[in-house]
Amino acid sequence: MLSKTSIERILAAALSHGGDFSEVYIERSKVSSVSLLNGIVESTGSSLDLGIGIRILEGDKCVYVYSNDLLHEDKLIRMAKNASASLKEAPSGKTTVLKPMMEYFSQKYEIAPTDVSKSLKVEKLRKASETAKAYSELITQTGTSTADLERDVWIANSDGLYIKDNRCRTRIMVQAVASSEDDKQTGYYAPGSGEGYEFFERTDIDAIAEKAASVAVTMISAKPCPSGKMPVVIGNGFGGVIFHEACGHSLEATAVGIKASCFTDMQGQRIASPLVTAYDDAKIAKEWGSYEVDDEGTPSTTNLLIKDGILNSYLVDKIGSRRMNVPSTGCARRQNYAYAPTSRMSNTFIAAGKSTPEQIISDTEYGIYAANMGGGSVDTTTGDFNFAVNEAYIIRNGKVCEPVKGATLIGKGGEVLMNIDRVGNDLKLAQGMCGSVSGNIPVDVGQPTIRVSEITVGGQA
Amino acid sequence: MDNKIRTLIDDLIKQAEKEGFLESEVYYESDSSMTIAAREGQIIQFESSDGAGLSFRGLMNGQMGYAYTEDLQEEMIPFLLSQAKDNCAVLEVKEKITVYEGEKDYPEFNGYNEELTKIDYDFLSKTALDLEKALLSYDKRIEAVDDCYTSYSEGELYIRNSKGMICESRDNCFDVYLGCRAKDGDDVQTAGKGWVFSDLSQFDLKKCADHVGKKIISKLGAKPVASEKMNVVLDRFAANSLLSSFAGAFSAEAIQKGLSRLVGKLGEKIADEKITLIDEGMIEGSPLSIPFDSEGVSSKRTVLIDKGVFSSELHNRKTALAAGVSSTGNGFRAGAKSSIGVSSTNLHFENGPFSQEELIKKAGNGIFITALHGLHAGINSISGEFSLMTEGFVIRDGKLCEPVNQITIADNFFDVLMKVEALGNDVEYTSPEATHTQSPSLLIPDVSIAGE
Repeated sequence: MLSKTSIERILAAALSHGGDFSEVYIERSKVSSVSLLNGIVESTGSSLDLGIGIRILEGDKCVYVYSNDLLHEDKLIRMAKNASASLKEAPSGKTTVLKPMMEYFSQKYEIAPTDVSKSLKVEKLRKASETAKAYSELITQTGTSTADLERDVWIANSDGLYIKDNRCRTRIMVQAVASSEDDKQTGYYAPGSGEGYEFFERTDIDAIAEKAASVAVTMISAKPCPSGKMPVVIGNGFGGVIFHEACGHSLEATAVGIKASCFTDMQGQRIASPLVTAYDDAKIAKEWGSYEVDDEGTPSTTNLLIKDGILNSYLVDKIGSRRMNVPSTGCARRQNYAYAPTSRMSNTFIAAGKSTPEQIISDTEYGIYAANMGGGSVDTTTGDFNFAVNEAYIIRNGKVCEPVKGATLIGKGGEVLMNIDRVGNDLKLAQGMCGSVSGNIPVDVGQPTIRVSEITVGGQA
Repeated sequence: MDNKIRTLIDDLIKQAEKEGFLESEVYYESDSSMTIAAREGQIIQFESSDGAGLSFRGLMNGQMGYAYTEDLQEEMIPFLLSQAKDNCAVLEVKEKITVYEGEKDYPEFNGYNEELTKIDYDFLSKTALDLEKALLSYDKRIEAVDDCYTSYSEGELYIRNSKGMICESRDNCFDVYLGCRAKDGDDVQTAGKGWVFSDLSQFDLKKCADHVGKKIISKLGAKPVASEKMNVVLDRFAANSLLSSFAGAFSAEAIQKGLSRLVGKLGEKIADEKITLIDEGMIEGSPLSIPFDSEGVSSKRTVLIDKGVFSSELHNRKTALAAGVSSTGNGFRAGAKSSIGVSSTNLHFENGPFSQEELIKKAGNGIFITALHGLHAGINSISGEFSLMTEGFVIRDGKLCEPVNQITIADNFFDVLMKVEALGNDVEYTSPEATHTQSPSLLIPDVSIAGE
């Protein structure tokens, strides 16, 4: 690791020829994974990632350089000087004195996952694979795996901030494939946590395997989904991906700060149905998308995005804060040292309402029940979003009927939020990876069961 | 490559033998890049990077264990060897995996253009500023160029193993990405496009700006259409993204694991006889050529679908051994950190006889599709089903008419192969728009479109 004085010299070099703020981000990560196919260990991985990113800001302009080479301070100083020189300003004699290092523990894990022998993990994954296989004769393939990450991060900046953060995450993935003569359908669950090996230990992977197998078996007998505009009831948990895509991304300063978002300049205005209250909360203990401190060293917050349908707050990082004249909300994140941080989501969810899921279904004469969602994407400028439904059923006369496959939901963020006409009382979070300008990061999506009065459903029928 | 790295790799292979690995291999990748972003007449972002990573794999107890590091010090050798050894201990792969002894002659290919090394900060920033200006001046309705990037990057790959095989390559390129928004009344649209240039003489600034300008203006006023089954023409970009989403179905790895609809279909008719699908590593005059795979096997020309018949799978050395055939040179790593899997090199449908205009005319009435969205989620890569948000133009009486958006397209890739009515003649590998997967424009009848 670089010494405190080395970091001070790099921060000063980064301001030598321009820039009003410099920042150093150092990361050392251990990643370990093991995956089984049909109960046989097919691949394992162990890696050590190491790198440094140096960022310079001049107003809202950004210079970012990174390298894997932490051994040669002289090279890093040169890199920082060159980066600063790109701003083409007169030489300055700025120096930085760092405060004493403050240590954070974004994840307070009990058992470091990379210390645990892979053979212990294999046993449990193998058993889950057998469980999925035994669920039905229709299950022809199973995939079970786990991956974990231990990451030490050091962040220092020219304001004197100097912190270390200890991070750790564990994820378990189960996939089951059901086959018929001419079709294959997949069920997939991948819970994750901001914990160490203890999460793997306490998780009932067999139960997850059964759930995955049941989705695959249900969907193999499903007919093609009907298409057109109709009411859709979206199940809790991963269903929250609709809010993540239809609204969350468009509230990020990355888009709002340059007035490229469909929600620009709408603070205090109605952007959703009065039933909708939504948060981005990075402070939920042990959650997959949580952290104590963001990748700019700002402590995390519970950010009330929408209150009773009124836009309350955006997701703002340091550059966004300069562009929008509001404080950072502690949401600057990045995949790793190869990316400059930017405004991102953490655990983003629609808060619980009053209806029971049963009431919502029984109030719906005809429509789709999207029980289980896949991923999606959005154009933050137009608000056009799309996402896939992994497990869907027809609702007829207030009852969940036959399964349908191959459904995609599309719409415009602004419209779909207004069309939410039921919000359930069964809030649940689910884990996923979110890809955007600063790479892929772990996030939670979440919601109770909700109903959208009208949305375009794309299916084959 | 740094001499220190060469020494580190030598020592690693030597020590692996001492530690009891019967065979070993090192895969080293480094890259550096410079990227500029311009907005509102200013350089708002400059990124520069220098990265390297080293992956070791070694054979012990009949298993090939992997380990990866970005900390490239001699002190990391024990970490790599102990991690790889631990991984060997839990692996249960049935096929015998070995490292490759290499070949005498590899196809000649130079992906490194000295002329491009002249690209510096000043060139990238001037080009980015000029691109933004050119695109803004295309039409008053273009409000902002939110993404205007220019970038230079170069990379180096070095594979060496205990059987004496050494494979090396270097490449570099100049990239441009332009994305903008336009507004007409309440209607807001976005459009973007990227190019990769391996030769500066191919770069025409005005052409790039005009392309995106034309694209976005043509999208203004887009609306959904009514839901029904109709004739669809996929332009070559939309058809490419569909083909690349399902390319994995032809991998012997997926087939042997039972994770492809093509299990047991070798030798059978799986497509209309108008379809021939080829994987070809070396393409004359193309900067996308790939001389060897991540195992050091020279690349080949493999016909996957021969006039509608599924004629070959794509193999690496492991899947080839299991199937009793030779590797087709498709043993690739998804990145230095990954283990060796199977991927295509340059995969393309053979051109058909028709121009895009002729396909539109043949379609009569329907939709012309220019992009598919949400490909990471809206497809079932095993069953072939897809349901995706899309956009394009109405085809009426054989002519392109008003723009369409907020619709979905849904079908099954394997059904599309069977029912494709006509193929365009617009695959080209030497253009800066070329990607590793290429399809000509396709006319497909009876496709579900959902909208109003």
